Amino acid sequence: METSSCLLSWIIFSPLLFALVALILPAALESKLRTLTLVQTIVSALLAVVMYWEFDGTIATAQLSHLVLWLPEWGINYLVSIDGISLPLVMLTAFVSPLAILGTWPLEGVERKKEKFFVMMLMFLQTGMYGTFLSSDLFLFYFFWEVVLIPMFFLIGIWGGKERIYATVKFFLYTMVGSLLMLVAIFFILKTTMDTNGTPSATFETIRTLSFAFDGTSFETVMKSPQTWLFLAFALAFVIKVPMVPFHTWLPDAHVQAPTVGSVFLAAVLLKLGTYGLMRIAIPFFPQAAHYFSEFFILMGVIGIIYGAFCALAQTDFKKLVAYSSVSHMGYIMVGLFAFNKIAIAGSLYQMINHGISAGGLFMIVGFLYERLHTRNLEEFGGLSKVVPVMAIAFMIMTLSSVALPGSNGFVGEFPILLGAFQVHPMYVLFAGTGVILGAVYALKAYQMVMLGPQTRTDLDHLHDLNTREIIAMVVMTIFVFGIGFFPKAFFWKSDATLDFYSTSLIQKVGSNGNN
Amino acid sequence: MEITDIFPLQSLSTEEILNLLPLFSLSFGAIFTLIVGTHKTKGHGYAFLISFVFIFLALFQITYALFNSDISLLGGTLNFSPFTKTLSLMVTFFALIGTVLSYGQDKKEGLLPELYALIQFAAAGMILMVSTSHLLFMFIALEIMSLAIYVLVSMRRGSRFSAEAGLKYFILGGLASAMFLYGSSLVFGALGSFQLTALEDVLRSNSNPPIIFLIGLGLIVSAMLFKVGAFPFHGWLPDVYQGASTNVTAFMGAAVKFTAFLAFARIAQSLIFIDTVESLKWFQWFIWFIAAASMIYGNFVAIAQNELKRMLAYSTIAHTGYLLLGLQSMNYSTDAGQSLVLYLFFYAFANLGAFSVISLFEEKNQKDLHIEQIAGLGVKHPVLGFFMTVFLLSMAGIPLTSGFIGKYGLFSSAVAAGQIPLVIVAVLTSVVSVYYYLRVIVYLFMKESTSDLAIYQRMSGPVLAAFVSAVATLQFGLFPRAIINFVKLITN
Repeated sequence: METSSCLLSWIIFSPLLFALVALILPAALESKLRTLTLVQTIVSALLAVVMYWEFDGTIATAQLSHLVLWLPEWGINYLVSIDGISLPLVMLTAFVSPLAILGTWPLEGVERKKEKFFVMMLMFLQTGMYGTFLSSDLFLFYFFWEVVLIPMFFLIGIWGGKERIYATVKFFLYTMVGSLLMLVAIFFILKTTMDTNGTPSATFETIRTLSFAFDGTSFETVMKSPQTWLFLAFALAFVIKVPMVPFHTWLPDAHVQAPTVGSVFLAAVLLKLGTYGLMRIAIPFFPQAAHYFSEFFILMGVIGIIYGAFCALAQTDFKKLVAYSSVSHMGYIMVGLFAFNKIAIAGSLYQMINHGISAGGLFMIVGFLYERLHTRNLEEFGGLSKVVPVMAIAFMIMTLSSVALPGSNGFVGEFPILLGAFQVHPMYVLFAGTGVILGAVYALKAYQMVMLGPQTRTDLDHLHDLNTREIIAMVVMTIFVFGIGFFPKAFFWKSDATLDFYSTSLIQKVGSNGNN
Repeated sequence: MEITDIFPLQSLSTEEILNLLPLFSLSFGAIFTLIVGTHKTKGHGYAFLISFVFIFLALFQITYALFNSDISLLGGTLNFSPFTKTLSLMVTFFALIGTVLSYGQDKKEGLLPELYALIQFAAAGMILMVSTSHLLFMFIALEIMSLAIYVLVSMRRGSRFSAEAGLKYFILGGLASAMFLYGSSLVFGALGSFQLTALEDVLRSNSNPPIIFLIGLGLIVSAMLFKVGAFPFHGWLPDVYQGASTNVTAFMGAAVKFTAFLAFARIAQSLIFIDTVESLKWFQWFIWFIAAASMIYGNFVAIAQNELKRMLAYSTIAHTGYLLLGLQSMNYSTDAGQSLVLYLFFYAFANLGAFSVISLFEEKNQKDLHIEQIAGLGVKHPVLGFFMTVFLLSMAGIPLTSGFIGKYGLFSSAVAAGQIPLVIVAVLTSVVSVYYYLRVIVYLFMKESTSDLAIYQRMSGPVLAAFVSAVATLQFGLFPRAIINFVKLITN
């Protein structure tokens, strides 16, 4: 094994080590807890950069793997590795984390509740997120998938808004329903590997070699095929997390009640766990079943795009608006993933990153406003651009990214999805396309209501513009927005080989589809 | 008539003595405890010390016996195999934690020093119960254990609920014991033996056992379902859990359940899971139904509870349901037995720990801890709040805790046994259970305390017990390989 093979484990567990440091930090230094968190996120980000450096973009399969036998008798192993699909998502997590800490730093004089516990939960959350993206073993994936829930539960439940307990319990239970059925499916896979290979094993490598019986001749035979049920069990767990309509109702509650930093992580990274799971597990391991049901999921994706956009349009709560816009934007990823088309699949991966940036940025803006004016009601803002010009610029950039203006990162994600899916399902894409227009309507409406128009408030004299910390966060975000927008290849080239291999073998498995 | 005709133990070999030593230690320890407990002022302290030493000695002796040869006494009635010795080890360990847990609680609740002796008597009964494969012997062991527990439950003299609980448990438990005894006699009448191994052989050769056997088996199964607290036989359970002093509840919930369930598994394996006998299929369906009903009933009723001990009592009914699912799988899968033992073992720690934390917060003679009372306690006492969170997450089966490993093993062997519909019931009802476990965590950390109703009681015993249980829960949750391999080794 090469020397760098522990690198991924360092990325996963470095936040946890810092959490221990935070735990034993003497009381005199407790005012520095946020600084410690910032240092931790930067250290993790640097480790991730080293990983990016070491990553060989010409190899299409997993690399830098690290295996520790955990409970091999039950087919449970600690196996982490990275490939072109998880690479961008890990990098997203690595970059969003420090920016989220910087961008949500509490202003002077704001009371900080149970600060120590708060930063420990943030670190624990990062361990969970890195772990989920880096696992190469189904059990480990499930393990981290569940671990993510615990810090998020506390983040929303302790530091959230008025209805926080309702929101956090709902969030937890929704995810649990899906993931426990996924657990049953994992048992079934373990049993299958036990029967075929003699030893239970749930590494992605092993599962890839298996094929689960599927008979697509009629609906009845489909429903009797084990692959169908495995696919549906996994897909349910993932689409709840995405969230796909009609399982999305936890999301607005969770977002609105969560503290800003929680919302940023939730929108930027946690939702991606769902689409990542679909891309990594549900679709490639059960391709025929996924293909059989693909139209249903595309339909749901399209409904999500339009429904989410209309809901966003109707909101007066700024945070809820951004939450529903997430439902809408995540719908594109569903369409792209289930199109079984090379361009659309690549577009979906890009869209995951881009939505992470734009939604994360927008939630930060909401946070800036809320910290200063203690409201999220759009009708109570108005004409702020004259008072806080820098914030207005940052908000504009994030809005443009969200509406997928050409030249911004949003375009790089949504355009290939629509282009690729159009070759397969033109009618659906026609409807999905309207989402782009609706997206511009609600995003610009929000901008207009906050920044433009007459000033409705009288207390704007002491409203501060962005401070240095917040400006740094927004500048880095902006670099990503336009950097990805103009030079997407520079950011995503290391994923090309994997994506190519992934979609070729996937399309091959389900028979010719699309023009590739 | 020679004495050896009545008492066939002519002389004990060294090995036999070695294996029986833990029982001697526990019994002598109990008597010794009774004597020192009469000390006027320091009775509690002495009784605790003596019982701690003797239970520790017993633990040591069982461990020593584990590495020595196996024996079988009284013509195969008492088997000291690695498997039964490990179970005895676990039970004795629970007794040790139960003893530690009682220290401090005894004075607060006005419990007599005899408490410590009774725990040892109960532990001796439990060791006999997991070691025997003879129905009558099992009955005697059951009685040794139960009588001690009846007294323990009603020992809280300041509380009328305790007396009520004790009486209820005694009458219903007596009925169950009578059913067990009558059932055993019917089985003996039908098939001519009390020995489970012999009965199994008879059933394997005779695919059509007489109806009397089935009636007897039905009575035995009902009695066992009563003892483990499965759904239609659960009526006593919430009241007893509430009425008993919390340290007793903890010991009961962990050790009695462990023992009774393993005895039930032993009976089921020999008398119910015989594929060649068509009429036994009914019993398998019966257990299937009871399992599903216990999971659904226990979890849904637990949601409505606002009192912690009562909630945990209903949740234990649900856990019985999961365990019955594992029991049901033993019919098809060889791994299910191991998973069952592991689940019981892990669950016992979560149970002991959760009740120790409760005992720290409840007032003297209080019937139960209301959920409002714990509001904000996790913030006030972060370490105890953390422990409680660990125990509840373990019961809910969330990763990082041993409860997850237990559930994982249990459900995966059930899937391997083809019990998928029942597993899906189990999984969906566990989601329900997550709700009420989370509710406690929500109150601990997320609600502001409304009043100073609950006062933290300074008692070193429960704190130590909670600490040990939390360490065990996390240790087995993160690094379960050693214990799993160990259980695997001894079951083969």
